[in-house]
Amino acid sequence: MVNKITLRKVLPQVFRGSEAEAPVNSSEIWLREEVVFSRPGNYIVEAESGTGKSSLCAFIYGSRTDFDGDILFDGEPVKRFSIEKWCELRCRSLAYLPQEMRLFPELTAMENIRIKNRLTDFKSEAQIREMLERFELDSKTDSPAGLLSVGQQQRVAIIRALCQPFDFLLIDEPVSHLDARNNRTVAQLIEEEAKAAHAAVIATSVGNKITLAEYELLKL
Amino acid sequence: MSKNIVWRLLRHNISAGQLAGYALANLVGLAIVLTAIQFYRDVTTVWEDEDSFISNDYLIISKKVTGLGSFFPADDNATRFTAAEIKDIASQPWAKKVGEFTSAAFNVYAKVDFGGNALQSALFLESIPDDYFDVSPEGWNYKVGSGAPVPIIISKDYLTLYNFGFATSRGMPQISEEMIGMIPLRLSLSGNGRQEWVTARIAGFSSRLNTIAVPEEFMEWANSEFAEKPVDDPSRLIIMLNGAGDPAVKSYLEEHGYESAGDKADNGKAAYFLSVVTTVVIAVGAIISILAFFILILSIYLLLQKNREKLHDLMQLGYSPAQVSRYYKLIVAAINLLVYLLAAVVVIVASGWWRDTLSALGIEGTSVWLTLLTGLCVIAVITLLNLLVISRKVRGAFRN
Repeated sequence: MVNKITLRKVLPQVFRGSEAEAPVNSSEIWLREEVVFSRPGNYIVEAESGTGKSSLCAFIYGSRTDFDGDILFDGEPVKRFSIEKWCELRCRSLAYLPQEMRLFPELTAMENIRIKNRLTDFKSEAQIREMLERFELDSKTDSPAGLLSVGQQQRVAIIRALCQPFDFLLIDEPVSHLDARNNRTVAQLIEEEAKAAHAAVIATSVGNKITLAEYELLKL
Repeated sequence: MSKNIVWRLLRHNISAGQLAGYALANLVGLAIVLTAIQFYRDVTTVWEDEDSFISNDYLIISKKVTGLGSFFPADDNATRFTAAEIKDIASQPWAKKVGEFTSAAFNVYAKVDFGGNALQSALFLESIPDDYFDVSPEGWNYKVGSGAPVPIIISKDYLTLYNFGFATSRGMPQISEEMIGMIPLRLSLSGNGRQEWVTARIAGFSSRLNTIAVPEEFMEWANSEFAEKPVDDPSRLIIMLNGAGDPAVKSYLEEHGYESAGDKADNGKAAYFLSVVTTVVIAVGAIISILAFFILILSIYLLLQKNREKLHDLMQLGYSPAQVSRYYKLIVAAINLLVYLLAAVVVIVASGWWRDTLSALGIEGTSVWLTLLTGLCVIAVITLLNLLVISRKVRGAFRN
């Protein structure tokens, strides 16, 4: 269980030496004394491309460590976490939608979701099908993920991310390829799931924001 | 079904050809190593036989009998070792211990009763210290005055000579080693104006020691009773060596004009040669195994490199390194187990094949369990290293 994620003077190592320039000097996250994400709550991190938005997600999700400063989960610095601890967190506390989705193209949409759900055993087959139906993907269940459109892939990846218990849902540009209607459907499901889990949602956006009802906006 | 999703992802890029190549190469290497070990162990059982004189650690030497020397009794001492010479030999770095052959300085006649037919012959007896026997035949601990028959070890050649030379041409029965041990012998010891009969029995055979040996205690007693003059210096010495095949031994013997009992020295050479050949064969097998090991490591690296993204993505989903590497580990372990089992079959078949040949040469051979255990240890180490490499490589794919 993670209740609070704290960023203390975090700076991607690629920005070393340009602390006084944009985007670091105007950022509400990079190099700030303390940035806190606590649950429940919705956060949207707005960024221009090249400001390190995906890096921020990777730092918080533990897949990259090339940053200065500290990221703390309930006061514990994540740089000391073992690989096993990260895997445990990724099954129980941290849900993540990478910007590039990272679906396995050779597996069907259903299998891509199952491969996550078999780890957590969080959703029933019926619940997964219901989510697919809500996203109008029921006809694509057995299509290889590689043959789906980017927008469809995005929605499959969102369902996959929801197939686990989570305290924080980290979604990197979740609606970049969705129209307004689909954006609302996705936002609705995410808000429902987050509410049920008393979880926080941290979404990034370069323009097309997910239409959450309430959120705190941070400029990266 | 759902379990297979991960497997379906990860089995991509597995090259059956590379794995088969590894398995074959490792099988050849391991089979060579284990077969060589087993062959060496089988053949060297000879050296561990109760007939310790065959051991490569012993050497029996005498002086050369030259020209006419033997015709002049006064020159008799020329073939005997003086105390100084013995001391010199004992001080050589390759000599661990030197024992003297004590010969009987009295007359010995042996009498055998063969169902009424008496066989009688003059004999000579020698003794060497008990330390030079690895194994004493039963009843070798002779006590003077105990009334027990005197145990005798004779050269196997004598029995062969009797069985295939004398007995066949004279129509006499051939006798086995077991039988001869049961034949009651009577020895007439005489000299110094006295004569006595003692009972004796053949307690064992030496295929290389060219003598008729009795326990040293008996010899001391008999010499003190029947010898007419003090016992001469020994004409033969038995040397316990520090190791077989030392070339310094040969040059020392040549330099001093000593002769080693031919067979004996050859045996040391044979042992030395055998160990060299075995080492070479084991080394070749080991090199093949090591190369095979690298083939597999390379193949694993290649495979994990090609599947690195998938491994990374699976761990992004929360799969632990142990979970994603499990399949690869299982494959490697299964292949190694298969290689081991096949190598074990090769060893068992091969040792069965040469066992008949060896047993015709009088070599018993030994069980294959120790060899198979060695193989198990080798394959366990290889497997462990393989698994370690997989673990490290998979964990390396965790970060971007």
